[in-house]
Amino acid sequence: MTLRWLHLRLTAPLMAFGDVSIDHVGPTRDFPSASALTGLFANALGWRREDGAAHQALQDRLIFGALIAREGRVLTDNQNARLGGNDRGWTTWGRPDERACATYDSPHRRRRDYLADHDCRVVLRLLPGDGPDLDRLAAVLERPARPLFIGRKPCLPTAPLFAGWIDADNVQAALLALAMPGRALWPMTGDDPGFDLPDLRNWVTGLHGGSRRVCEGMIP
Amino acid sequence: MTEPRFLQIHFLAPYTAALLNRDDSGLAKRLPYGGHLRTRVSSQCLKRHWRLADDPHSLHRIAGADDAFRSRETVDRKVFADWAADVDAAVVKPIRDAMLTAVYGDKGTDKKSRQTLLLGEVEVAYLTAEARRLVAEAGDDAKAAAALAKEWNKTHKANLRAMSEGAKLPGGLTGALFGRMVTSDPKANIDAPVHVAHAFTVHAEEAEGDYFIAADDLARDEDTGADTIQETELTSGLFYGYVVVDLPGLLSNLGGDARLAGDVLHNLLYLIAEVSPGAKLGSTAPYSRASLLLVEAGDRQPRSLAEAFRSPCPAETGQAVAALSDHLAALDAAYATGEVRRVMSLANAEVPGAAPGTLADLAGFARELPAQLAGPAA
Repeated sequence: MTLRWLHLRLTAPLMAFGDVSIDHVGPTRDFPSASALTGLFANALGWRREDGAAHQALQDRLIFGALIAREGRVLTDNQNARLGGNDRGWTTWGRPDERACATYDSPHRRRRDYLADHDCRVVLRLLPGDGPDLDRLAAVLERPARPLFIGRKPCLPTAPLFAGWIDADNVQAALLALAMPGRALWPMTGDDPGFDLPDLRNWVTGLHGGSRRVCEGMIP
Repeated sequence: MTEPRFLQIHFLAPYTAALLNRDDSGLAKRLPYGGHLRTRVSSQCLKRHWRLADDPHSLHRIAGADDAFRSRETVDRKVFADWAADVDAAVVKPIRDAMLTAVYGDKGTDKKSRQTLLLGEVEVAYLTAEARRLVAEAGDDAKAAAALAKEWNKTHKANLRAMSEGAKLPGGLTGALFGRMVTSDPKANIDAPVHVAHAFTVHAEEAEGDYFIAADDLARDEDTGADTIQETELTSGLFYGYVVVDLPGLLSNLGGDARLAGDVLHNLLYLIAEVSPGAKLGSTAPYSRASLLLVEAGDRQPRSLAEAFRSPCPAETGQAVAALSDHLAALDAAYATGEVRRVMSLANAEVPGAAPGTLADLAGFARELPAQLAGPAA
């Protein structure tokens, strides 16, 4: 049974796909995570961060494969932030958030990894359920509620993200239909050898949400 | 006519023999692009200099923001809106007064003595929710309302002081565009409506190691040699930069005030064109002006024109503008996105679909955009 897939082109001079982040280093994988795509569409739809249930429903319906059309290099950007000890921000809980401590006179140093000059294609469809359908996603990619960015706010794309439609029976067929050779990632089905990829987010709590089984391989 | 939801700003700026932005090894930041290494100025470096510039067009200097009377009436008009008309005035008054003093200070109840605060959508949403809760708890009892209001004022003072500090002028204008401290409460955070891409040279990097010494002029004859020998990097480049402003987001942070939003955009264009992101001011004097400024207003997905420079282009404004125009024309032919464009260029070259003008013309064009958005009445 032929299904319709949305073809996305993710390309920018600098992009970040996120990865498990523990300390002052913000790493990136070379394929987008399910959470990254959910966030991208949520931004295009104009959702707010606190619409956790809507984000979660969208992520649960997402089925996608990704292919690297042009392999970029990982670039590590050094960032310094000066945080003041007296900084305060209001909250809806009635108590202001404060800083745990000032950075004295030296700035808070952190590193963020980006993918430089990387071009990744995504073929995507949605399981039936509550929320936007594929046509709506394509429409908001062309006329988004807010500027689209790939991973971090400075990562502005150089091409329209919406790259067309593909008809295929399953993810591998959709990736083959792109007619581009490259390394690809797709959800594991059946007995294919795969591995656990922790790229899901729990949108209600805001914490990581577990992993899913994926396969990685070369598309000829 | 498409709504101008997004303002895209492209610039080309030349800097010679400077070290604008360093990484942790003291060398210029770089970006591999199109198979060549480019010199880069990071997004955070650009934003910081625009945010903190002491410039005639810095956001702190926007004149007349104090006269934005409507922002002194935010609590009266927006928080205690139509829903409050149905409630007994005796119940609403103590709650409203408590909110006014908590947000605007002890003289908050007198409109003329109130300072101007830029309360955006998230602030208004929170205050409205609190006001409704207090009114519901008080029921029809004015005395209970007064007691609840007094208690609320006491417990929420610190939180609301944090809110009003962030919304005060002139810092509130900078916060409305560049963002505020991020808290752990997603409902209280705003997203900065400006996106700044990392700027990079349109050509492959041109860097030189500058070997230098420092000598002590008071050294005696027998103390030969330099006191310190160091090497630093000097780069020259024509940088391409790209900024997108989310106009509805900016308006929502400014409480819907289109005139203030227009002033912010006007000044932002001057800052982008005239403020240097440079360090090493004393030894390199990295002061320059943009040789091209192209602004686009539209509602289609914003896109950078960096692909025009995938093949390194000669480091000369005329040729860079030609490369940019070719790429823009190709995009227009393929996608016909229909943005309204204005361009200021030192090179005598046409940019497709862009009416030429001075920086003042472009800034004036940007200033009129927020008013065209069909948004909440300011």
